[in-house]
Amino acid sequence: MSMQALNRLVARSIIDPSILQAFGAGQIGQVLGELDFSPEMRRTLTGLESGSWAEFAIQAYGVVKAAEKPAVRIQLPSPMEGLMAEQEQKRSEFGQVA
Amino acid sequence: MNPVTREERHWFLRCLAQGLFEYMGAAAPPIPVEGLLQHPPDTYREDFGVVDMYSTLWDATFARPPNGRGSVFVRIDLKPAERRFALAREVLSALITSRHGRAMGLVQLLMADLKDSAEYFARCLVVPEPLLNAFRKRGGQQAELAEKFGIPSGVAGLRWEDSPA
Repeated sequence: MSMQALNRLVARSIIDPSILQAFGAGQIGQVLGELDFSPEMRRTLTGLESGSWAEFAIQAYGVVKAAEKPAVRIQLPSPMEGLMAEQEQKRSEFGQVA
Repeated sequence: MNPVTREERHWFLRCLAQGLFEYMGAAAPPIPVEGLLQHPPDTYREDFGVVDMYSTLWDATFARPPNGRGSVFVRIDLKPAERRFALAREVLSALITSRHGRAMGLVQLLMADLKDSAEYFARCLVVPEPLLNAFRKRGGQQAELAEKFGIPSGVAGLRWEDSPA
């Protein structure tokens, strides 16, 4: 949702001078508060330091994109697993013999 | 300004095109780009205009006379599809050099790659994402895009590739 909100904000900014005024006055947080950003994302975006609205938008895009990217986790089986199963089997076979 | 990737720049341009598309309120193609230039948002009252010209040099070019209103000067003998795209491309120069655009920081972001930016922006403006998605959903094919949106076929091909389904 954050990316959609950011898209809407940047799209609006090309015809709505109030966004630029809020940004220039250091009050972009208020504008972000009206959009569908999580409180944490709003804080992060409000804290970005940029020299212009366009630069802010590009930085915000990077932040939102990174947050929306699902965390990549590589889940390989432990190399121990195969050995442990083998050991278990040997142990139970040994038990049966005994 | 920090270096900006092509992908970031294109995202930004898509947003700008979307903002203007929403302002126009076009529900169906073709997009009235000339109407946008003749009846611009208040922010661009002094920046948008269209002037027909007889020239063999350019298809269209944006110019801002000193102390005057900016206008796109467009060759009078262009076909409607070529005219629509040429006007859309020059809208970006009008935005960048406008008071609002300069205050946004568009000069620093877009001037270095103006040709690529202007053509990408124009493709997004003449074929806005929501209308392209609707066109695809109704089974529209690439070959029909140019005719449906009233744009040159080369532009339609690139737009189709820009935004894979």
